[in-house]
Amino acid sequence: MSEPASGWMPARAGFTLDAEKCTECERCMSACALVKTGIVRLAASRISIQRRWPEVPGIHVCRFDDCAGQPCIASCPVEAITNREGYVLIDREACTGCGACVESCPYLAIRMDAEERAFKCDFCAGKPACVPECATFALRAGAGERS
Amino acid sequence: MTGSMWDSLLRIDLSGRKAQAWPVPADLRMYLGGMGTGVKLLADEVPPRTDPLSPANKLILTVGPLTGTQAPMQPQSCIVTKSPLTDGILNCYAGGFLGAELKFAGLDGIVLEGRSPDWLLLLVEDGRVSFHDASPVLGKGTAETEAWMKSRFGQEVRTLSIGPAGERGVAFAGVFSETRTFGRGGAGAVLGSKRVKGLAVRGTRGVGVAQPEQFARLSTENLEQLKAACAEEYNLVGMFSRVGTGAGMGLVNGRGGLATRNHAFGQFEQAAEIDGYAYAKKFYTRAVACYGCPVHCGMLHKFRKADGSESWLRGPEYETMYSLGSEVCNGDPVTLAEASQLCEEYGMDTLTAGVTVAWALEMGEKGVVSEPGLTLSFGNREAILGLLERIGRREGIGDVLARGPRRAAEELGGLGVAMQIKNSGFAAWMPRRMKGTALAFATSNRGACHKRAPIGAEITGQIDMNAYEGKAALVKSIQDRVNAIFTLVSCRFHEFVTPAELYPRFVQAATGIALSLAEFERLGERIWNLEKLYNLGAGHTRAEDSLPERCFEPIKGPASEGAVIERAKFEAMLDEYYAARGWDRDGVPTAGKLRELGLERYASLGRPAPGPRP
Repeated sequence: MSEPASGWMPARAGFTLDAEKCTECERCMSACALVKTGIVRLAASRISIQRRWPEVPGIHVCRFDDCAGQPCIASCPVEAITNREGYVLIDREACTGCGACVESCPYLAIRMDAEERAFKCDFCAGKPACVPECATFALRAGAGERS
Repeated sequence: MTGSMWDSLLRIDLSGRKAQAWPVPADLRMYLGGMGTGVKLLADEVPPRTDPLSPANKLILTVGPLTGTQAPMQPQSCIVTKSPLTDGILNCYAGGFLGAELKFAGLDGIVLEGRSPDWLLLLVEDGRVSFHDASPVLGKGTAETEAWMKSRFGQEVRTLSIGPAGERGVAFAGVFSETRTFGRGGAGAVLGSKRVKGLAVRGTRGVGVAQPEQFARLSTENLEQLKAACAEEYNLVGMFSRVGTGAGMGLVNGRGGLATRNHAFGQFEQAAEIDGYAYAKKFYTRAVACYGCPVHCGMLHKFRKADGSESWLRGPEYETMYSLGSEVCNGDPVTLAEASQLCEEYGMDTLTAGVTVAWALEMGEKGVVSEPGLTLSFGNREAILGLLERIGRREGIGDVLARGPRRAAEELGGLGVAMQIKNSGFAAWMPRRMKGTALAFATSNRGACHKRAPIGAEITGQIDMNAYEGKAALVKSIQDRVNAIFTLVSCRFHEFVTPAELYPRFVQAATGIALSLAEFERLGERIWNLEKLYNLGAGHTRAEDSLPERCFEPIKGPASEGAVIERAKFEAMLDEYYAARGWDRDGVPTAGKLRELGLERYASLGRPAPGPRP
């Protein structure tokens, strides 16, 4: 995963989140898993809903340019994480699986896959698959006023 | 694998603490999944005269071809077992997240067999089962039990459980799954008879489909249909998405069809105090959804109990607003919430529980029954809550009430005003007000079932709710179609918006199995006939397809216009229905009908075996 694919939109990468509106249906997660792996396997989702039942859940996903300092970039000892025009991306080939970025992320948005490589949201190259699935607009595309 | 189906059921022998992955044979695969799988397996493996609470009964938990996929509104799972409430075949459903997790675990379902010597919690991880001691949570409520399982097995597991009512064999004990309920028919008592207190499932395998591109197109098309419905002001599903299933209570009340005071009246003065809009206005409300559902009809409320303590409740649902509200003349939303919570804690179906309580209150007012420490009268908070607790604990009069409304009335008197069919309490609709719904209640294989009734068309006036004519064929077609949809285990509300022709297309894209809409509905009919044969084999007769005496007396109150069921017209409608089904006058499927449905070899299932039951 590296260059944004063709068809990318120049929209600023990021999400507007309103967890109060989240119904915990997990459609964002299943859509993400499906587009990234071809099957619905929620563990592969780049966005995750953390239940705090009965309180409002947490929505864990990369905030891109809404993230102050983007500590994941600095945390990576092999410079596998870069910010390209707002798209914070992990070069999977360069990743050594040290887990430093996972530790550094204040939004719990980076995880390790079964092959010990870090993975996170890449904003689907401008057309995030999760966003149209959210019926309540708890999740909207575009860096936000309410992140 | 058949696309989205694993073709694998996990059979757990509780007597021997053994488990085995069982490959689904081709003839069973043609029943798709969900209810179809459950009914055929039960018919094949559990003789109809089996004691429902004996080790010989089986509890079959299933999912369907769309479960866990990106298709919207497919969160439910299905339990089929022999019911301790009706003594017939039972199918019941719960939403939430358990169904998807089962699919992710590589399973189309779980079959629980035998009886454990000790109380167990079961943990199923990607198809592997482990057995755990349940003694730390024995006697605990369902929410506490499931929270304990999550703390023990990991927060990511999805769970189901029974409460004290299921442990003690209350005939209408439910199986609970993270506040969602397999409510009807006493599946909780069956689980309790097997000494299973809870089940936790974890799945990491994911689920794919046979035709990914076609499936994605269908899912998107369907999602957009549902979103559009949710945005419409007067669409019922849209109303559900805003305030939950209690949205329609005002309409039903206005039409004089809201069962009140044990079905004596059709209108409740305080309905506006306890409907969905009232809860949304009075209490902090957060909409919560089942897996993959854009409608999010579940409403989570924060409220203060009468003792001042703060509490949360997901619900009450519409059916509960009737059974523990209008039916018992309870116009206090806090008492209603506490009553609903008690049912959740003890693990009981709010419908049959409420109907049984309503009957006891009427009998109390008539001086036929009494209970020390309680004043049995309608609207009495202490009596409503006190009876629910006694049923859950099987204490005092609760021990008799726990057998179900008909059994209780047979013992104590007042059978004609026990609002039940096959011992199952009436769902929230008045057969006298809606004649098609009357027929659907009476002929329901699981008893007084509202899920396969022409409720929407009748209550909104699309068809004449007072007419008997044309209802027989209509009810048959709804029963067959809904049975077919329950092989997928779609949410019942899904079909309110989704065109019928989408179902076979979804099935094909998910599994590769091609079938027409007519064949799909024929599958529903086949299942309906198999259920009927099972009930006949269990000893049910035409007398079970009837209504309590109260239905043949006019409803009181002005808005209901004295609606009544005329006995001769009802019997004629039943004859017409049996004929439409290809059954004889006793409701027995004819040889020709069985041949047409490919069920010839099940003919003997419908003949009750002589002698004592096994």
